[in-house]
Amino acid sequence: MQVIISSALEQGLIYCFMVLGVFLTFRVLDFPDLTVDGSLPLGAAVTGALIIGGHSPLLATAAGVGAGMCAGMVTGFLHLLLKSGESDSTNYGPKLLAGILTMTALYTVNLRIMGRSNIPLLGVDTIFEKLGNALSLTMIGWNVVLAVGALAIVVKYLLDWLLHTEFGLTLLATGDNEQMIRAMGTNTNFTRIVGLAIANGLVALTGSLVAQQQGFADVGMGLGTIVAGLAGVIMGEVIFGMRSISWVLFSVIGGSIVYRLLIAISLRLGIAPTDLKLLTAVLVVVALSIPTVRSKVVRL
Amino acid sequence: MSAPATLDVGGLRKVFFPGTANEVVALNGIDLEVPAGQFVSIIGSNGSGKSTLLNAVAGTFPLSGGTITLGGRDVTKQAEHVRSRVIGRVFQDPRAGTAPSMTIEENLAISLLRSKRSGLRRGVTNRRREVMRAQLSRLHMGLEDRLKAGVNKLSGGQRQAMSLLMATIAEPSLLLLDEHTAALDPKVAATIMELTAAIVIERGLTTLMVTHNMELALRYGDRLIMMHGGRVVLDLDEQQKSTLEVGDLIEKFHEVAGEAFAVDRMLLE
Repeated sequence: MQVIISSALEQGLIYCFMVLGVFLTFRVLDFPDLTVDGSLPLGAAVTGALIIGGHSPLLATAAGVGAGMCAGMVTGFLHLLLKSGESDSTNYGPKLLAGILTMTALYTVNLRIMGRSNIPLLGVDTIFEKLGNALSLTMIGWNVVLAVGALAIVVKYLLDWLLHTEFGLTLLATGDNEQMIRAMGTNTNFTRIVGLAIANGLVALTGSLVAQQQGFADVGMGLGTIVAGLAGVIMGEVIFGMRSISWVLFSVIGGSIVYRLLIAISLRLGIAPTDLKLLTAVLVVVALSIPTVRSKVVRL
Repeated sequence: MSAPATLDVGGLRKVFFPGTANEVVALNGIDLEVPAGQFVSIIGSNGSGKSTLLNAVAGTFPLSGGTITLGGRDVTKQAEHVRSRVIGRVFQDPRAGTAPSMTIEENLAISLLRSKRSGLRRGVTNRRREVMRAQLSRLHMGLEDRLKAGVNKLSGGQRQAMSLLMATIAEPSLLLLDEHTAALDPKVAATIMELTAAIVIERGLTTLMVTHNMELALRYGDRLIMMHGGRVVLDLDEQQKSTLEVGDLIEKFHEVAGEAFAVDRMLLE
């Protein structure tokens, strides 16, 4: 049991950066960004290729994050090209298409970066080993949980700080009422691109850490990221509430952990790992449709 | 902060869907000079181009022809968000002027930053809260004690009062009001209109107010403009309009437009 909990916590915390990224796009920017299915393996690919190439894992991780940010910017620019001149912020077509295009293109980019579909990272120094050596600890189990948990808290507070700055307010308003914030002199094309960059940087951070923790980068590891991210966001909001931005950032991290815990339990109960994506999709559908169904039932 | 400025509009043309079966000439050569500090009411039937004129000045879409100068600066090609730093706007829909899931103080902080570049300093500071409380207390809605309340908890009238405050708090060079009381119930609409007039007169703001309501147009403002078919068909100064009543205005319209006048919503209220 303890192993289940520690490994679920570990996974939940490693994936919480991705879930925070999905929260940033879906909830804050009102931009359903499908880039994430490509930017997660991008983070893994860049980090993997650099570590294999003999670079320091810290630099490799930072480069992975940077690459993810670039992917987010590409989606932002594509959205500018695809949306019609008079901006209608509730028109999700161009937003979805921009993300799909970047995600698809990233498949090729990721293969090119890795040079093959899978890079094993066994027997090389990852960021976890570096940290373990520095602290004279073996980076397994709870030690990983503590290390990634500390990083999660740092990232949480950075986001919290950012969203309370002047720029952060314009970022929040871009997703909340674009017409208003434009009329207030903000270039929403700019805020949106910055938001997408930050979000995909976070997603790539998860990709980078996953690769280093499980010992390989794989071109297919991003499949279903968006749905898993949504599941984390929704669970966090439902279970832990969303009374303020500062609070909801914690909720989302909590949601990520609960989601990984559920997966661990499902696997323990004998559900095949390959069935998990379908289960997650069903879970998201149910959670998203509850408000609609409830309002219909009440009306009847 | 910027001072109220002169607005000069010359030969303004806007054609929507040019070259298609749906082609609409929304603005057909508008020439208009509004001296700094003037409060202009604009009336006209549906499709007369009055809202299009406001949107053209705000820079919502590229023009088909003509120039717009604000305070002596040609802003014709300036992007909407750049122009917005000195142009305050209030829309018809009370939901349009505020960010619903953000708090009152966050919304007002955004409006205080309008003319500045938003940086990485804290958005809501105690110094800004002081300014917000002082401004909000003028609305007499008790909002100054609810700075941390979500805007989605406010009524339509409260939200429109907030929108008005947010549009004017950073002393815009120009204020554009697009039927900003039309979606409110009559009592609330009257309150918001009184508030508007008080703010506009006190700050001496250059203001364009589009309205469906002839009585409002006659009662408020220093000048009245009537639009029809994308043109200005009537332009009355304060003295001329002070002698008119709603009935005279309709008659005038018949004279100028020379066709049956769609009274529709104009006579109501």
